[in-house]
Amino acid sequence: MADTNSGILKYIPGFVLCMIFGWMALQWDQSIHKWQKDYQASAKVLKAHADDGKPFLGFAEYKAESEEKYQEKVAAFERGEIKEKPKKPHLLQENDYQTLAATGKIPSKFAFGERMIEFQLTYVAVLLLGGMIIRNTIGLPKIFQPGTVLARPVIKPGIILLGGYYLWSNLLKVGVFALVLVLIFILGTTILVSFLGRRMKLDDGLMGVMAAGTGICGVSAAVAVAPVVNAKPRDFFYAVGTILLFGTAALFTFPYIGKALGMSEPVFGAWVGTAILNTAQLVAAATWYGHDSLLTANIINIVRVGFIPLVVIFCIWFYVIRQATAEGRHEKVNKWQVIKEKFPLFILGFFAMVTLNEFGVFTEDHRTIFGKQFLQIFFAVGFAGVGLNIAFDDLKKAGGKAFVIGFLAATIKAVLSAIVVILIGTEAFKVK
Amino acid sequence: MAETKEFEEKAKKVFSAERKEDIWVLILAAITVVLGLTGVITPKTFSSLFF
Repeated sequence: MADTNSGILKYIPGFVLCMIFGWMALQWDQSIHKWQKDYQASAKVLKAHADDGKPFLGFAEYKAESEEKYQEKVAAFERGEIKEKPKKPHLLQENDYQTLAATGKIPSKFAFGERMIEFQLTYVAVLLLGGMIIRNTIGLPKIFQPGTVLARPVIKPGIILLGGYYLWSNLLKVGVFALVLVLIFILGTTILVSFLGRRMKLDDGLMGVMAAGTGICGVSAAVAVAPVVNAKPRDFFYAVGTILLFGTAALFTFPYIGKALGMSEPVFGAWVGTAILNTAQLVAAATWYGHDSLLTANIINIVRVGFIPLVVIFCIWFYVIRQATAEGRHEKVNKWQVIKEKFPLFILGFFAMVTLNEFGVFTEDHRTIFGKQFLQIFFAVGFAGVGLNIAFDDLKKAGGKAFVIGFLAATIKAVLSAIVVILIGTEAFKVK
Repeated sequence: MAETKEFEEKAKKVFSAERKEDIWVLILAAITVVLGLTGVITPKTFSSLFF
């Protein structure tokens, strides 16, 4: 019998589970979006009927009239009278139209779709909330666990494919602001946590991991820094617990806070890109909010993860070289080696996509396939992995002074960055 | 001390796993792009996956 505890086999059950869960969530998403469009089309028909007071048109006339209006708009666009290219109108199906005409009421499933979209209960919410509920109620059998962990990075091909949506000019425009935000908030938090830790006479290892984790990129940075600052296992798990706890809280609350504060999609993208500490969580929160939000958050995230090697170098200097110099020893560090080892390779794929798009390799269809459709497939599998791995037991590992400093620093960063991105405004963060 | 050493090794292993993960991610994205550019996957492929 094959040994399912080793090799690739152990990943299959969990990965397949994430694929099925992801597909179900996407099926849900497709349905509610279709119903929402049907709701809006129905409302339009009812409004037109109420305005002109005439009886409902037959289905064929309804179709012909919609097509005629669309052609008029296209002609106006071609004459330059309207700036935006008109989209083909969404038409009701014949039986739905007949029901609407007979009853004069919008079918309840359409209204349901409209409500679900209004409450942002899209595939992202289904996967994250649903996954979290499954994990913490009925539980996730051990056989599925390795595969669900493996599914999380499947978000990254989505991030790469999204590169096909940008031109270098978009990237540089938003990238300048991203760089400023990264330098001020992310490196600022790293330095602040380090100095606070020293003042509170906390262990160097713990503070090094917290500084990198809360500042730059959550668990990835904490993992990268842990060996160089000689972090103890207990400290590392405190730090990772705190980072995950803050990220989870932010993931579920920020989209609603953003709506409450009236943030536009690009502004929200800039905010989560700066304030949420983990790539998967920030991508999920931004996708939850909208596609434009994701476009902005992605740039900030790319700039941020590109800084991981620099943060590692800072931590080596702060915790190893400085200390060694103070003790009269001479420690050397091969900076190029650190950059080479810690550089997140996947962002090169993202830049390659931007370059291909710049050279006109992609058509509008390609952009739709890569940046919307396959992005959703990759994200759905990845978010299923994220949701199914939110275990309250892991979050409880957050503790001690690491929790106080980490949560405090992350909260201050979230509040200040919200104020700054709102003041900078939508235009600066708008990708197109 | 031994526990710390063991942990350091584990952390390094996690990071090298992340590096391998990035390579797989790049391969997966490249395959998708090639399939898209050669017309094997079209805008209709996605909608055909759902009811």
